[in-house]
Amino acid sequence: MAGKKSEQSLKLAAVLDLNAASVLHGKLQSLRGSDITVDASAVERCGTQCVQVLVAGAKAWEADKKTFTIGPMSGAFEQTMQLIGVNFEQILSKEIAQ
Amino acid sequence: MDMNEIREIFFQECEEQLAELETGLLKLNDGDRDPETVNAVFRAVHSIKGGAGAFALDDLVAFAHVFETTLDCVRSGKLEPSQDVLKVMLKSADVLADLTNAARDGGTVDESRSRALVKELEALANGEQPAAHAAPEPVAAKPAVAAAPAPTDSSGFQPIPFSFDDFGGEEEEVLMVAPTYTVTFKPRAELFSKGNEAALLLRDLSRIGEMSIHCHTGDVPTLDRMDPEGSYLSWTISIKTEKGEEGIRSVFEFAEWDCELDIKLAEEAEADDERPMIPVPFDLSLLEDEPAIGDEPHVGMHVEPVVAAAVAAAETATGVMQAAAAASARAEKKEAPAASAAAQANAANAANAAGQTIRVDLDRVDRLINLVGELVINQAMLSQSVIENDNNGTSSINMGLEELQQLTREIQDSVMAIRAQPVKPVFQRMARTVREIADITGKSVRLITEGENTEVDKTVIDKLAEPLTHMIRNAVDHGLEMPEKRIAAGKNPEGTVRLTAKHRSGRIVIELTDDGAGINREKVRQKAIDNDLITADANLSDEEIDNLIFHAGFSTADKVSDLSGRGVGMDVVKRSIQALGGRISIQSKPGQGSTFSMSLPLTLAVLDGMVVTVAGQTLVVPLTAIVETLQPEAAAIHSFGATQRLISIRNSFCPLVDVGRILNFRAQQANPVEGVALLVESEGGGQRALMVDAIQGQRQVVIKSLEANYMHVPGIAAATILGDGRVALILDVDAVVGASRGQSLRQEMSLAS
Repeated sequence: MAGKKSEQSLKLAAVLDLNAASVLHGKLQSLRGSDITVDASAVERCGTQCVQVLVAGAKAWEADKKTFTIGPMSGAFEQTMQLIGVNFEQILSKEIAQ
Repeated sequence: MDMNEIREIFFQECEEQLAELETGLLKLNDGDRDPETVNAVFRAVHSIKGGAGAFALDDLVAFAHVFETTLDCVRSGKLEPSQDVLKVMLKSADVLADLTNAARDGGTVDESRSRALVKELEALANGEQPAAHAAPEPVAAKPAVAAAPAPTDSSGFQPIPFSFDDFGGEEEEVLMVAPTYTVTFKPRAELFSKGNEAALLLRDLSRIGEMSIHCHTGDVPTLDRMDPEGSYLSWTISIKTEKGEEGIRSVFEFAEWDCELDIKLAEEAEADDERPMIPVPFDLSLLEDEPAIGDEPHVGMHVEPVVAAAVAAAETATGVMQAAAAASARAEKKEAPAASAAAQANAANAANAAGQTIRVDLDRVDRLINLVGELVINQAMLSQSVIENDNNGTSSINMGLEELQQLTREIQDSVMAIRAQPVKPVFQRMARTVREIADITGKSVRLITEGENTEVDKTVIDKLAEPLTHMIRNAVDHGLEMPEKRIAAGKNPEGTVRLTAKHRSGRIVIELTDDGAGINREKVRQKAIDNDLITADANLSDEEIDNLIFHAGFSTADKVSDLSGRGVGMDVVKRSIQALGGRISIQSKPGQGSTFSMSLPLTLAVLDGMVVTVAGQTLVVPLTAIVETLQPEAAAIHSFGATQRLISIRNSFCPLVDVGRILNFRAQQANPVEGVALLVESEGGGQRALMVDAIQGQRQVVIKSLEANYMHVPGIAAATILGDGRVALILDVDAVVGASRGQSLRQEMSLAS
């Protein structure tokens, strides 16, 4: 899958706080239409609102029938996802099931 | 901002909350059953508790907690807020205020009182409801799986202890020990815009017990339809904690009003369980030990790819796409700030609509007021020098100066308005005083306040509390009769004390009326004779007798009670009111009660004064003291004794006071016929004629403290700077009048001390 022409990557910023949510939202919007890998390896802090944007992104990609992948994750990112109980796996598979 | 400042803000907010609390309770007392009122009361206590918790003010938290629990019973309709219940609540509000003050200023509170109230509150909370609700504190043994007090790691996250045993056979047993609560939590967008973070709340929640969590993502719209700063996620959390519902609520302390929060015991929750509860259990240790999760796949992987592949893909893709991403990021950057700016503007607008206030340090306001004062002086000096140098008198400069004068006056008024505060907080404190005294004396009293929103300078407000408290005590202790007596007199057994504030001709008038017995003139007169204040054969008018109560060391209470009659009485009140530039008067009708009315200046920063000349010096006499001015005629002046002179005004005699002589401006008494007499009202209601050489005019002057800049000068209240740049002294009318009485003044002083 590496090198696929339509595959894009989005590297998340280190701090994903309230202010970053709009920025992230905009970025995701601009990357619509092709498969995407979100690189969360540099995330140090992640707020709920950015998670929301990512969830919405996952749904959007699902609707577009494209793959939305969360790639490498930093420890902080992973922990936040667990803490707030967001499981992209479930979200995405649920979408498929529908 | 350091901790002390935050603490200070907390206490300021406490004051507001306490006021809110009292207002609400009084409304309830008057029969208001609006749920919003109950909520407001609950919220006030709740906020105080929350803040106190942050500062580890344990006493305050403990009391607020009990109070809150009882209020919650009222809120949920389990407890009817009857008069008796509210009496306890009002007392509790008083104790809460005491505890807050003790926490701020140190000192102690009457522990037995608060303990007794805690018992009463608990009795109220428990008495009328089943034990089911009152069981937030299980005394059960420690759970088998002890909640590990996990240390905070570098990223600020708290590991959430979790044991898979909970899903195994031990589950039921563990449940027996610590109750499991089901919490549903749905934040609103405001929660985020106020800087709260749901993730942090959840983290804190994880600290109080073992929890599993399910995040509902169903409400998240698709990307193009979402507001990045909206709120779409909600959670169902299952938490096992010994802290009970209260403990869980305390986590959401500061966010509670910005989210939907529902906490249930798990058993109840299961009954209406319709949610597909798929908790995501986790433990940080699992992160390192992935296989242990087994069928729990790694978060975020889409269908078939594995982490390694994704990493590889990302790495490759990163190289290819970086340029594109950067470009699009740049493009987005332009839009994004605009969008967020718009969002912020919207938020600001919404906030504005709700009546925005800011907290400003009083020092800053004072500095501004001071500067505006200087501006006014400077403007006056400028226009004066222009007038002096202006020959034709109609130059355009004059026009400009007039506009400037108007502007400065407007600026001054606006600045003064900043300091203006409603008298409400002081009035509210009086409600408490009335309650306490009514309790001690066994009288039944109703306090009615009117015009609480009348605004007056903050300095005046601060200094008003003490004399008012004194007067209220007097009104209840001396003024109102015991219930039996009232019934015998055909009155309502419940006495009424009415406290009103209103603006009248640039001053604030505060009136305190009671419907008690009125002043017992016979008794007052006898007391005054006993205390050598008047001679036994003195012929006094009713008004003069009434005014005797303002004399030092005067108390008519038969025995010295705990409340009043400790030698400090109405004389102190009168002095404090006068120190504020105010006047106090009394009207009393036997059998119908008394009215004390105080007239105070709206501000202590400016003063309307009459500018006069005395022995070549310019003095300012406060306009409020002056009753009238007159030109004495030789025929009206009468000598009395060696040095005293009287002036006859409309067939009554009035002592003539030579201001220049009293202040030692001149050695000899001036000829009254050459000067002007200012008739002033003095202590005790009597009038004096102050003699000055000439009147220059009336002017509003900016008060400059003499004590702060120089030292106290007897007979002088303060100073000001006039338009010509010269300093003029403001006359302390009462001191001058007092000094004219010479010997008698000193005698009074020694009585008072």
